Amino acid sequence: MSKELLEIKDLYVNAGETEILKGINLKINKGEIHVIMGPNGSGKTTTANAILNNPIYHKENGSIILDGEDITNSKTDEIARKGVFMSFQLPEEIPGISVRNFLKYAKNKITGKPVKIFEFKDELKKYMEELNMNTKNMDRSLNVGFSGGEKKKNEILQMLILNPKLAILDETDSGLDVDAIKTVSKGIEMFKNKKNAVLIITHNTKILHSLKVDYVHVLINGKIVKTGGQDLAKKIEENGYAQYKY
Amino acid sequence: MEILKLNETPVRTARNFNINNIKLENINIPEKIEKFSNINIINNNSKVEIDSIIDNSNIVYGLNEFFSNQVEKDSNQKIRLNINSKINKETRIEYKFDKENNTLIDNIQIIANENTKSTIIIKYFTEEDLEIFHNGIINVIAKNGAELDIVIINLTTIKSNNFIAIQNTLKENSKINYCIIDLGGKNSITNYYSKLEGKLAINNVNTIYLGKENQLFDLNYIAELNGEKTNINIEVQGALKDNAKKHFKGTIDFKKGCKKAKGNENEACVLLSDTAKSLALPMLLCSEEDVEGNHSTSAGKISEKELFYIMSRGFSLKEAMKLMVKAKFNKILENIKNEEIKEQILIEIDNRLD
Amino acid sequence: MKKINIEEINRNIYNIKNKDEYDFKIKKGLTKEIVEEISKQKDDPEWMKELRLKALETYNKLELPTWGPDISELDMDEIATYVRPKTKLNNTWEDVPEDIKNTFDKLGIPEAEKRSLAGVGAQYDSEVVYHSMKEELMKQGVIYTDMESAVKKYPELVKQHFMKCVPINDHKFVALHAAVWSGGSFVYVPKGVKVDIPLQSYFRLNSPESGQFEHTLIIVDEGASLHFIEGCSAPKYNKVNLHAGCVELYVKENAYLRYSTIENWSKNMLNLNTKKAIVEKNAQVDWVTGSFGSKISMLYPMSILNGEGAKTEYTGISFAGEGQNLDNGFKVIHNNKNTSSVVNAKSISKNGGKCTYRSLVRINENAKNSKSIVSCDSLMLDDISMSDTIPVNDIRTDDVEFSHEAKIGKISDKAIFYLMSRGLSEEDAKAMIVRGFAYPISKELPVEYAVEMNNLINLELEGAIG
Repeated sequence: MSKELLEIKDLYVNAGETEILKGINLKINKGEIHVIMGPNGSGKTTTANAILNNPIYHKENGSIILDGEDITNSKTDEIARKGVFMSFQLPEEIPGISVRNFLKYAKNKITGKPVKIFEFKDELKKYMEELNMNTKNMDRSLNVGFSGGEKKKNEILQMLILNPKLAILDETDSGLDVDAIKTVSKGIEMFKNKKNAVLIITHNTKILHSLKVDYVHVLINGKIVKTGGQDLAKKIEENGYAQYKY
Repeated sequence: MEILKLNETPVRTARNFNINNIKLENINIPEKIEKFSNINIINNNSKVEIDSIIDNSNIVYGLNEFFSNQVEKDSNQKIRLNINSKINKETRIEYKFDKENNTLIDNIQIIANENTKSTIIIKYFTEEDLEIFHNGIINVIAKNGAELDIVIINLTTIKSNNFIAIQNTLKENSKINYCIIDLGGKNSITNYYSKLEGKLAINNVNTIYLGKENQLFDLNYIAELNGEKTNINIEVQGALKDNAKKHFKGTIDFKKGCKKAKGNENEACVLLSDTAKSLALPMLLCSEEDVEGNHSTSAGKISEKELFYIMSRGFSLKEAMKLMVKAKFNKILENIKNEEIKEQILIEIDNRLD
Repeated sequence: MKKINIEEINRNIYNIKNKDEYDFKIKKGLTKEIVEEISKQKDDPEWMKELRLKALETYNKLELPTWGPDISELDMDEIATYVRPKTKLNNTWEDVPEDIKNTFDKLGIPEAEKRSLAGVGAQYDSEVVYHSMKEELMKQGVIYTDMESAVKKYPELVKQHFMKCVPINDHKFVALHAAVWSGGSFVYVPKGVKVDIPLQSYFRLNSPESGQFEHTLIIVDEGASLHFIEGCSAPKYNKVNLHAGCVELYVKENAYLRYSTIENWSKNMLNLNTKKAIVEKNAQVDWVTGSFGSKISMLYPMSILNGEGAKTEYTGISFAGEGQNLDNGFKVIHNNKNTSSVVNAKSISKNGGKCTYRSLVRINENAKNSKSIVSCDSLMLDDISMSDTIPVNDIRTDDVEFSHEAKIGKISDKAIFYLMSRGLSEEDAKAMIVRGFAYPISKELPVEYAVEMNNLINLELEGAIG
């Protein structure tokens, strides 16, 4: 079985008339944690959305291969069912659907198997406790009235429950305090194993203080301009992005 | 006794809700229209041509047939502004009422040509305690890319009868910002109709009314969104003292084809006495899916908590109330760039709140 | 993105057409002779006969409404106003004729009665064919009977309240109702009696080219409480049917009444119904309404808050599909101090259907320290449908807290993408959002409620979460 999980080849993406990604190449193997860093507006969120084929972005060129299968033009839900998960920067509020019922249903869709009600509740409760979440929130409407931190933790909870092959975390650390970032890191560690991979998208380095990663990519103006290890993040922390601008 | 029926809403509702139109009794409608000569036009802009060649025959709503006809036939002031200015400069029309000039029938047309910018201020005022009569039409056309700031200020007395019909046609990428300050009139009746024809057209309307004694306001605002990605924002802030009464009818009509259009309407009425009355009908009509429409309305007195907070800083109850009302008005007055005019309005509001 | 394709409500159950068999069907039209004949058939007391004839005169004087949906297709000359089914009133289902019983069976009424209701009334065309209530309620003095029996057995109580909450001249179709009314339920809950389990009346119109004019009169005496459910349906015919019922609710001091309606008339029905409640001191009436059926509906339940501290809540949803024009809403009059009203109205328009929310909030001069909070939400599922919001807010004093908010729009693309990123198909994602939208109303209904709303929404959104 191949080690390679995701490959992005020469990807160009537009939002409306604006060209945002200008030739992205990226390979992620099973068992790895990758980080894409870059200043605001460099195309980080676009990269995440392009992998999940958000219809508001248009792929002009390039391809995305997941586990040997071309998913460039697959529908978002198919990509999700093939094992890609994205933690949203701004999770949507969906009134009238409880966290519990939503996740039960989504898990059923992703695994294709019926979900056992009581086991599922126990699993949900266990993860919520691990993530320092109020277990009462499982019966609240999805993200409705959740604080910023609660929403982000709820995304990590969904990642743990849906157990994807590739988890993309889009700015999951932004706007969180130190304790919440630790909780999120703990969630990622719980999730991580040799068969899956994580792609963290962030504009700051805070989360890298509590998490060991394999690769750091610097994304500037729609292109990856530098790739390195954890020490690259340290350099950016000290010197900022200015050194990469041209 | 003749009863006048005017300012019909675009959609009717039950008759006993008393809001489909406004019925007025005992209005002294002048039969013979004398000359009105107390007008002052201050034009800082050589690119604005002023003449009196008016064609206002395309008025869709108006107040009713009689009032539209009166303007058409008997107007004693006709003003056409033809704007070719690329820089936003101010043109001001000031009508001052006095004993000799107490009846004004004005017919105004404003044509903002493509990609022009300008500010128009129209002021109605008097320094005497007079009963005046005003009936007017302001018809505005904003051609592609034109931008207009229009300020209408009615500072006439609470004995007056003030009738005004405003119509705007907005072409592609045009933008009209209105600021309407309505303080005057025993009866102050406004019809405001905007047709957002061209895509990306924007119309912002900010209105203040302030009523005391037996003043009556009837505001009938209608915005029709036809073009794609058009945008209407209506913000109305009012306060009513004594037995003053206000009817606000605001309609945002999303017509088929206005994809990605947005409409917002917010109407808030502060009631300053237990006999003041606020009647509101904020309508949303929608025949298109991909739109966003919101309206909100509220009515009530100033909260005791807010008043207490301000009084704890040394203000009397009356001062605190005035302060709160003015605070609500301020966000609308911010849209007026001319500081002198703004100051004048604030003084007038202060006087009328006493 | 692909348009959502929510199937039309599965109407098979509701669409069972029985043969148009009856014991007596009055000739079509509306004349003095016809009204007199109905009165004779029903063996009215003299006062009722006079009321009917007076109402007919009023009907002839009143104009059609000058607002709202176009109902000019209604031709009273083509409507039979009284159809007596071929059975008497029964108090066991065994005695109900087979075909009629089958219909109610399929609608789940007898089953619901066993499981979750304290009493049931079932009307078929113009007459109530079944009425029954648990014995313990009878012992507590609760009265639950058909309206005709009430007129005879409790003449004083009925005479005191009948068409007093809703005056005959309220509008043209109230006058029509008063002239030809037949059937309906009468409920009296004595002082202090709490009826914990709901009572339900179900109205079925089977006969084509006819009308149903049932009268519901409920008196909840001081400190008592009741939950009353009304359901209605009819098979679809090509020609217009008419429903002009009338509901009068009297909620006395400290009493509580919840009035739930699941309206699922067929799409040839003109539903011109009138409902009002008079609410006394510290009493409360709550309306829960799901409006799914009818070709045209004009229905605006009204709470008159007469007593100090009286309260009302309205929770309603309208779901208009192809060919439907649902003009619904709520009216409330605050007539005393410390009164409060809360309105939560939702609508969904699809396949060219039109929903209108039309309302009145009036806070009168003497209603000091009163509060009213209104929120309306309209969802457009495609670009051939329509949705209007027409609320009148009439505030006549300063010491009030009043706010009104309305929103209109489509399902957000962002929300759809979010759900799809969790593995839901586009259809599932949309269905889930629509269900979530309707949830504040569906949750107000009793879980056990056998027949209607949840079922309808579930059918509509099949495949969404269980």
